[in-house]
Amino acid sequence: MFEYPPILLSLITLPLLGILTIIILPQNQIYLTKLVGLIISLISFIVSSFLWLYFDLSTSRYQFVEHFFSVPYSNINVFIGVDGISLFFVLLTTFLIPLCLLASWDNVKTSVKEYNIAFLFMGFLLICVFTVLDVLFFYIFFESILIPMFFIIGIWGSRERKIRASYQFFLYTLIGSVLMLLAILIIYVQTGTTDVQILNTISFSVDLQFFLWLAFFASLAVKVPMLPVHLWLPEAHSEAPTAGSVILAGILLKMGSYGFLRFSIPMFPEASIYFTPLVYTLSAIAVIYTSLTTLRQVDMKRLIAYSSVAHMGFVTIGMFTINLQGIEGSIFLMLSHGIVSSALFLCIGVVYDRHKTRIINYYSGLTVVMPLYSIVFLFFILANMGLPGTSSFVSEFMVLIGAFKCNIFITILVASGGVFSAAYSLWLYNRVAFGNIRSTFINNFQDINRREFFIFLPCIILVLLMGIYPETFLKVMHVSVEHLVDQVH
Amino acid sequence: MNFFNFFENDFIVILSEFFIFIAIIFLLSYGVIYSTSSFYKYPILSLNINLLALLVLFVAFLLCLNNSLPSIIIFNNLLVVDFFTTFVKISILLNSIFFTLMSFNYLEYNKINSFEFTILILLSILGMLLLVSSYDLLSLYLAIELMSLSFYILASYKIKSEFSGESGLKYFILGAFSSGLLLFGFSLLYGFTGMTNFEDIGKLILGIGSLSDTLSYKGIFIGIFFISIALLFKVGAAPFHMWAPDVYEGSPTPITALFSTLPKMTLLVLYIRLFFCTLYDFIILWQELFLICAIISMIWGSVAALSQKRIKRLMAYSGIVNVGYMLLGIASGSITSIVGLLLYLIIYIIMMLGFFSFILGMRKFKTYSLNNYLIDLLNIGKTNTIIAISLALILFSLSGIPPLAGFFSKLYLFFAIINSELYGSAILGVLSSALAAFYYIRIIKLMYFENLKKYILYKSIDQSNSYVLSISILLLFIFIVSSDALLFSCYKIGLVLSL
Repeated sequence: MFEYPPILLSLITLPLLGILTIIILPQNQIYLTKLVGLIISLISFIVSSFLWLYFDLSTSRYQFVEHFFSVPYSNINVFIGVDGISLFFVLLTTFLIPLCLLASWDNVKTSVKEYNIAFLFMGFLLICVFTVLDVLFFYIFFESILIPMFFIIGIWGSRERKIRASYQFFLYTLIGSVLMLLAILIIYVQTGTTDVQILNTISFSVDLQFFLWLAFFASLAVKVPMLPVHLWLPEAHSEAPTAGSVILAGILLKMGSYGFLRFSIPMFPEASIYFTPLVYTLSAIAVIYTSLTTLRQVDMKRLIAYSSVAHMGFVTIGMFTINLQGIEGSIFLMLSHGIVSSALFLCIGVVYDRHKTRIINYYSGLTVVMPLYSIVFLFFILANMGLPGTSSFVSEFMVLIGAFKCNIFITILVASGGVFSAAYSLWLYNRVAFGNIRSTFINNFQDINRREFFIFLPCIILVLLMGIYPETFLKVMHVSVEHLVDQVH
Repeated sequence: MNFFNFFENDFIVILSEFFIFIAIIFLLSYGVIYSTSSFYKYPILSLNINLLALLVLFVAFLLCLNNSLPSIIIFNNLLVVDFFTTFVKISILLNSIFFTLMSFNYLEYNKINSFEFTILILLSILGMLLLVSSYDLLSLYLAIELMSLSFYILASYKIKSEFSGESGLKYFILGAFSSGLLLFGFSLLYGFTGMTNFEDIGKLILGIGSLSDTLSYKGIFIGIFFISIALLFKVGAAPFHMWAPDVYEGSPTPITALFSTLPKMTLLVLYIRLFFCTLYDFIILWQELFLICAIISMIWGSVAALSQKRIKRLMAYSGIVNVGYMLLGIASGSITSIVGLLLYLIIYIIMMLGFFSFILGMRKFKTYSLNNYLIDLLNIGKTNTIIAISLALILFSLSGIPPLAGFFSKLYLFFAIINSELYGSAILGVLSSALAAFYYIRIIKLMYFENLKKYILYKSIDQSNSYVLSISILLLFIFIVSSDALLFSCYKIGLVLSL
């Protein structure tokens, strides 16, 4: 068998190396600090792309498996590895971290060192979350992200309300996830292991599955976020700095749905099928309700945040159809949403940097003064509403096909969400880009600069690639998803 | 046959206690003679004696480390020395070394000129060391009184403060009351069994569950009930916690630090010795009792802490919550729970030491006063970056956020609880730990995010306090990277006790 170089381990150690370098750098070397952060994150993107290059499409087993560490005096040996499901989340992480650092190149002026450390640390934790093959350590890394994110929202957030937002973010997640910890401990007591590879071969009794599934659900649903516990998301999004929103929408939300895919569905198949109506109902309500809520928002970031909740509703529906199209569609939608909504937050960040407001009513007629920006913004708005040719169309279409096989009624309800998303997206774009020019914009305007253009360019390319030829991405998932579906049925 | 030959090996084993005892006598005579001499102009000796106490504790620590006999019962079955007690003694002595380091600053700035302060602390440490190794109801009672009596005086040591007098009196009355209960329980136990030795009682009541309608069973039952209630009083668990916030608030700050670390550790170790090794056959009684107290402490402590404005009061309620977790560990009653409990105790003490070295080290620039209110910590994140980061780490660790040691201690504890299938209490426990995160995070919020433009200038932190703070942070980090040694000791203790 072909021996791989230790790609995953080097991927995990790279951000730590960056953090160490940044800690050593003196406080006043701001430019150097930023440069180190950017270079390290770019290198880790390049390294992570080797994962895709070496990836074996013909097996559903975990690949690049390496021993990470062991917990003494217990049967916990933590392995890391990726399969078709988690590969793209790793790539998404390494793709978005440099974008985040670039996006805040000029507008973060206080405590730059700590900012870079926080983002690199977050990158490290996220890669660990998506590669670790152990339930307990998934939980540990999943929770650890609270600390850097809490500080990112609290310190570099923009407004007075940020304190409340970071508080809410922290406590919602914490209260949800402590139950998951209990569930993991019960799993460990019952089976004597927390290794996913072994746990996938074990079947729990149905009663226990119900309890465990609900405990996992309590934690993951907060992170996804599902409907009744989504309230932290608009707060956190609208108060976080641009890069914080990007990473929140781009990757942090995906941890929840990744947890469903990796743990809830394969480990508790009966419970997953039993609770499918619950998930469907919550997701359908989320899609319709939050899509309607967006129409009443005045804050652009809040609008996109609510649209994220709607898209994540699509994701959860696709996941719990438990057929090939549905699950692949939901993974694809996560990737697509990770890029599109991140890009939308970056777009909002661009105008926020220039005019220091995110209230829609203050903007109008930006097409005249910022033509290039308007084109980019239009592209992502169209991608967000799922125009054919963009990634969202493909993924939402696949989710709907998958859902149609299971439940026609829910499919019809959710498909109507597509109409609403067109409504709010166009309504947002209409108010911001068209209309009369405000005099303040004439006196003081600037189109996107080269840095911002190069942030958007890879996103545009990826969205188009995923929309026009999705098979590049889907072929990686086929075998793993097929295996997952087999496991449940 | 002289006295020393009679107890041949016994003095070798408890050399550290013996050394502390002799040192106390010498220090006392040194202080009394030197500080009252008109020739030397009545010198102030508190710092001298504190320094000497540091030395004494360090030597005692070394003596304890070099304990050559692994397991022995000494002095006519009054005291026991085994791996468990040695381990706990080492941690107590280390803790008291750090504690003595922390209190230099306080003695100097708050002008505590009487040298008895340190000597009382040494006496209480002696009491704790004896309490840990007591193997007989009699020696247990004597040791617990030696510890408590010193504490009553220490709590009221701030002579000029009304709060301090109140706290001392409250502590004394409730402490004496609980000692009475304890003694009553002991006498019932002695009356119905005719024994005071732990091992004898344990052997006698082996399998007593089948005799549950006899009179002696009921007598022992009531005796154990009283003993448990009295010990719950001493440790400050919830329905019996009324004294804790007032005592914590009123006492001098180093004494608050002492209260929130060492007595908890010694008493819970005593719980293990008494309830796990001796009275295990009455698990039906004490398991439910401790479960109820644990749940009330966790919930009441976290709810009450939410509305506190003073740091020490907040820490008192946080102590009640933590005692709740520890009682949950005791209630689960298995070897795993011993491991979890010891880990929890040690990590809790490390965090508390860090926290209090911060509180004792930060003095305001002009008034040299300590931080009393939570609002005093406002904007420390901007003025004292490194110290604020350390405190934030300790607080995150206290609230049990994963990569830090506090999470792992909770993990092992809850693992033990789940292992004993106490699912309901486990759920309540984790939910209350999430609730507890509220008030820890509130402090972090105050330090970093609050936009009030009020900056308090601080004197730079004292050297000795900064040592303790950094050692505490270092230990918290070392635990993440390599927890082998500590885990090994805890598992070994679990095995030793189960044999």
